[in-house]
Amino acid sequence: MRDDDVSLDNCLKCSDCNTACPVVTAHPAFPGPKRLGPELERMRREGIHCDSDWVEYCLSCHRCDLACPNEVNVSELIARAKATHKKSPSRRWRDYWLARPGLLGKLSTIAPGITNFWLGLKPVRLLMSMFTKITPARRFPAYSNSALRAPEVELNQGERVVFFPGCFIKYNQPELGCHVLQVLQLNGFKPEVANAGCCGVPSLANGLPGEARERAKANVNSMAAAVDAGARIVTACSSCGHMLKTGFAHMLEGDAELEKKANKIAANTFDLAELLMAQQDAGKLNTHFGPVAGKLKLAYHAPCHQKSQGIGRPWYQLLRHVPGVEIEDLNAGCCGMSGTFGFKEDKYLVSMEVGSELFAAIHTNAPQAVVTECATCQMQIEHGAGVSAMHPVDLLLNAYKHGARK
Amino acid sequence: MASNHFDLIVAGAGLSGITSAAAAASRGLQVALVSSGPGSFVFGAGCVEVQNMDRNTPSLREALDFFCNLTELAGCGFRGGLEDKRYIPTILGCFQAVSLAPFYMWNGDPTAASQVAVVGIRGLSSFDSNFVAERLAYHACKLERSTAYTAHEIKLLTVADTFPGTLQFGNRYDRDPRFREELRNALLPIAAKANLIILPGILGLKTGQIEIESLEKQLGCMICELPTLPPSIPGMRLFNRLERHLRGAGVEFFTGFPIQQLQIENGHCKGVLLDTPARPLKLLSETLILATGAFSGKLLGTSFTSVNHDLHPVDANSAVIADNVFAAGAILRNSTARELNAKAILTGYVGGMLAAGVGVQYAR
Repeated sequence: MRDDDVSLDNCLKCSDCNTACPVVTAHPAFPGPKRLGPELERMRREGIHCDSDWVEYCLSCHRCDLACPNEVNVSELIARAKATHKKSPSRRWRDYWLARPGLLGKLSTIAPGITNFWLGLKPVRLLMSMFTKITPARRFPAYSNSALRAPEVELNQGERVVFFPGCFIKYNQPELGCHVLQVLQLNGFKPEVANAGCCGVPSLANGLPGEARERAKANVNSMAAAVDAGARIVTACSSCGHMLKTGFAHMLEGDAELEKKANKIAANTFDLAELLMAQQDAGKLNTHFGPVAGKLKLAYHAPCHQKSQGIGRPWYQLLRHVPGVEIEDLNAGCCGMSGTFGFKEDKYLVSMEVGSELFAAIHTNAPQAVVTECATCQMQIEHGAGVSAMHPVDLLLNAYKHGARK
Repeated sequence: MASNHFDLIVAGAGLSGITSAAAAASRGLQVALVSSGPGSFVFGAGCVEVQNMDRNTPSLREALDFFCNLTELAGCGFRGGLEDKRYIPTILGCFQAVSLAPFYMWNGDPTAASQVAVVGIRGLSSFDSNFVAERLAYHACKLERSTAYTAHEIKLLTVADTFPGTLQFGNRYDRDPRFREELRNALLPIAAKANLIILPGILGLKTGQIEIESLEKQLGCMICELPTLPPSIPGMRLFNRLERHLRGAGVEFFTGFPIQQLQIENGHCKGVLLDTPARPLKLLSETLILATGAFSGKLLGTSFTSVNHDLHPVDANSAVIADNVFAAGAILRNSTARELNAKAILTGYVGGMLAAGVGVQYAR
């Protein structure tokens, strides 16, 4: 954001943002987005020192942006505050790693069996909490030993799409990535996997915009040619999708050529369900869904970064039409995990308190499973509500399999 | 399962937008509600004044009845009606004459109680119980009521290093049973000597009739809760309740992205473009209701001057700008501040019904 951006002058102090903020709701001492965003920015521009440890508690969920009736870039202003914030050495060391899930993934998947074994041991987790300030209450997601590759069956026809997997699918759940590719194939697309790294959301959330900019640069350069050749980009992680659509161009401001490429990538990036619903509108969606085993009572949780993309509720609309599936939108706010936030020892309790409303809604609804497209929302739901959570694409692929059998 | 095609798009989630979406949905329409922010709910409580309006205004009674029923279904019922007039206190210690008010304000009238306790909370600067009690006593005298007002202050455990605001108390009321108990215990001795307690708005953003009436029962005393500086807790509670109800009634919400453009061609609107990331989101619809408030009428272009008797927007020559677009609420700019909410409900209801093809009258 440029210093002459005056969107903060639109702030009328109406407090809509504070009312919408999940952390304000859960944690009464949190000063709220109005203070940490526009008000601190105003002081910074006057050269007044105004750092606050509270900026570390912003989840980057963008709910304040959606609540603001005057289009103030509240969360962006808080991101600026995060970037100038001074952390203690131990938190800085921890956040260095949390901000780089791509690097962590690369190192951990050298020998995933050993990584998973060590991370699963309680004493190791206690040591990690002592030395890296990572909560021992959570288990790290298991790393996978298989790599995500484009499907071997070569299809010469079909529209070319590039799948941007993101760190979680790449290093932890490559089988989920395979399901995405299969669903794309079943809908007549010719998918390939982007040669891309981390999208940069974790770096930005941890107050490291320089690192996020590097990631944006690398990703833009790796995907620009495909988009120029007419391919569309597909995401299955809501945070990656959010970043590709809103973050890259913004991060690369000042470099006209990269910014132009980033804008083109953004305009051609689709969430998987958004793409499928667009196919539906064009009458091209494969609707050979078979009834999934028995009757399935599910609950849908919309991740914050899905809401911030402004695409409606495509997964919910899609799954409602799978025979045998009864699905309800929980609409119970933020889960509180916010990617790496919930792993931090000092933030763990706040993270769980933010999620408590969602956990309560899940218990009232009593579904067999919760469906949500964000991997860390899934972790938080399983941890906090004790109900299994899955990505909607797994369900969709299952429905296609049953449909084919018919 | 067409994704973004609706019978009706309502733009704006204020009083008129919500009313029109509910009216149309009640007639079976597939409605999308597009909004950026919760409209004026964040500033007030939704009290309705009709004293200065012609009671025989076409559709007014129907609209108010519909709205009362809607709030009842949403669990945040309004009391009163076209013939009613009550004096509701404000945080500035004066009385506002209203015809309809949410149930948690309706009992604030000085005729409803003889002994009134005005209760402030230590540290909460936006509500001064001494000031309010003194002024209310003075104004009640002027209204020739003999109601006695006494000021009280209760002490609640606050969170360290914070300046407590009504939002903090409201959130804690929603989430923390210990806080509810603490508040109830602090109010009990006061309730023993009064038949009405006036409180700043803190009784939760997600509560409703059941929770607040149960508190009244436990205290054995009526409660009147006043909205303070924004955010107005009672207003947000009403909004949250109505939103939940509309979602249940099948209304699809698109929150957070303003309308970039109306797609009007040859005097007919095909849909809207929302200002969403990466590229605009296109929503299609048969009809559209514009309830975007007093400050954002630009969507219809500079030629928009007013509406005709079917609520269609017209230009200076009374030519209809779009034959399937209706305008409702403050965008019409034909209301004084006092009748704003009544007109919002009236035009919202009429717009929703007209969009559903139900013949209702609207006289400018």
